[in-house]
Amino acid sequence: MQLARALFLRVLFGALSLLFISFVTFLADEIQPGDRATVDAGEKARVETVLRLREIYGLNRPWPVRYAEYVGKTVQGDFGTSYYGVKEPVNKIIARNFPVTVIVATSAITLASIFGIFLGTLASIWANRVGDRTILVGSTLFVTLPNFVLAPILVFIFCLQMDYLPQTWSVDRPQGDFWFFILPVAVLAARPTALLTRLTRAKMVETMQQEFIRACVAKGVPKFRLVVRHGLRNAILPVITAIGTSFGALLTGSFVVETVFNLPGIGFLTIDAIRKGDMPVIQACVLLTGAMFIFLNLIVDLILPLLDPRIRESQV
Amino acid sequence: MKRKRDWFLIFGVIYLVLLAGFATFGPAIRKAQLTTTAKQLDPTLREYDPVMDRVSAKIHAPPGGEAILGTDELQRDILARLAAGARISLFVGFTVQVIAVVVGVTIGMLGVFAPRWLRGPILRFTDGMFAFPDILLAVLIISAIGFGVLPVIAALAITAWPSITRLTVTQVATLKDREYVVAAKAAGAPTIYLIFKHILPQMTSVLMAYSMIELAGTILAESTLSFLGIGVQPPEATWGNMIFNARLNMNSYPIELLWPCLLLSLTIFALNFVGDGIIARSDAKSR
Repeated sequence: MQLARALFLRVLFGALSLLFISFVTFLADEIQPGDRATVDAGEKARVETVLRLREIYGLNRPWPVRYAEYVGKTVQGDFGTSYYGVKEPVNKIIARNFPVTVIVATSAITLASIFGIFLGTLASIWANRVGDRTILVGSTLFVTLPNFVLAPILVFIFCLQMDYLPQTWSVDRPQGDFWFFILPVAVLAARPTALLTRLTRAKMVETMQQEFIRACVAKGVPKFRLVVRHGLRNAILPVITAIGTSFGALLTGSFVVETVFNLPGIGFLTIDAIRKGDMPVIQACVLLTGAMFIFLNLIVDLILPLLDPRIRESQV
Repeated sequence: MKRKRDWFLIFGVIYLVLLAGFATFGPAIRKAQLTTTAKQLDPTLREYDPVMDRVSAKIHAPPGGEAILGTDELQRDILARLAAGARISLFVGFTVQVIAVVVGVTIGMLGVFAPRWLRGPILRFTDGMFAFPDILLAVLIISAIGFGVLPVIAALAITAWPSITRLTVTQVATLKDREYVVAAKAAGAPTIYLIFKHILPQMTSVLMAYSMIELAGTILAESTLSFLGIGVQPPEATWGNMIFNARLNMNSYPIELLWPCLLLSLTIFALNFVGDGIIARSDAKSR
């Protein structure tokens, strides 16, 4: 019962955050000079034209009314139409771009989880020896190295010097999509891998010093089983939380990688829309990525009690 | 027991001092020679501006000539532009962090000392802001108020304060129950006096260390925005837009890419080293 109450509060907080984001995106449109009327009327339009268009579009109504309408339409999945081009409905544009971001981010977080947990565990087994030091220095390097520094370096090595991989996304892709995704995924995965490595190592070192581990050693549990079943099982919870937040960060923060590699995903779309001043697209992108971020955090919060009976108990 | 020397901290501090020197005096390096060349190339030139003006007849002049690090695709001196970029990065970074610390500490103090009905919402709001991805909010703010140095500062300051607030809340939570604070409170000192006289001075080193690490994040964010073309705009030079430009010419002139990447990465490393070093030191002191 109390668990249900805790979960309900989480969901409520998530919904409130979403409402807050929707208000901020609405506010952004209000602050920004220009609206649909000025854009549609064109640069040389007379004042009367703009005013009449505003009347037609209903932009003269007070802001609470328009905000309510905005929220109502958004809930129904209607983000309006783009200001420019053929004025395509925004949700169609999003539907086209969204899969790319999801594919890249999911591959990156999968790779990062596997390598991060593996390397972190390895480092904790070798704690304070050469292998551990190497992994630690390497991960420190990759945590701090900016994506837009790493990306050109990799492009320089693999595309220009070795000529193995395609440099950017192009409309016809003779080699198939797979090759185009390798570098972006590698760049995106670098930072989470390093973060997860460090976290796993720290938590594993902490866990392996505890008494039940010593009891297991005394009992004669084999090394592999000791590390995986007894050590990792206990150390992994904070790592899972970190995987959740990193995944959120990848989904929302793929601006750089998508721009560098010309991947037509949400990040690329957002930056492109900001340069053009295409407000409906910006709003939809921010809302969508924000919603995904909140949703992921919620999922992590829901998964943790399933994995760890201690959290289940403490929430009651 | 002999204390281990913090080589990383020392390296970081030396590097940052050098960087500050470079940002201040960088544009003046070989200015006289470059001015003559620039005036030869453009006789109508009144005053030589290191960031904007051509200093070589060649596009992409190699390093080691008149311009020490070579020139970019518009024949401008890369070294001077790097220094100008350092100026912008440091200026944006420090301004944002000063704002973040002032706002963050104030809100954090309110989150601890304000009346009960105010405390909860403040802390919840901070948590929400903290959890929300920084870059997304910054991008949204930029899209509303436009590009340039001031919008970037505004966007980054709005995203930067929650982490300082959280730090303040956790710090104050332990500090306010220390005996001398309780004693002063028992002696009838008003809360504001307690904060400024007894709590803040104890927090300064941790606060400084954290804002150093945050400064690295801010500088990175500024470069990211400029790199994406929605931050500081050309012809102004920043490391971000220099990396962007260099990337376009990567096939023919890869060395141009090296300098801003190197400076940016080193700066971020150094700030992290210094922050971690200060934290380690104050931890050692408190033990």
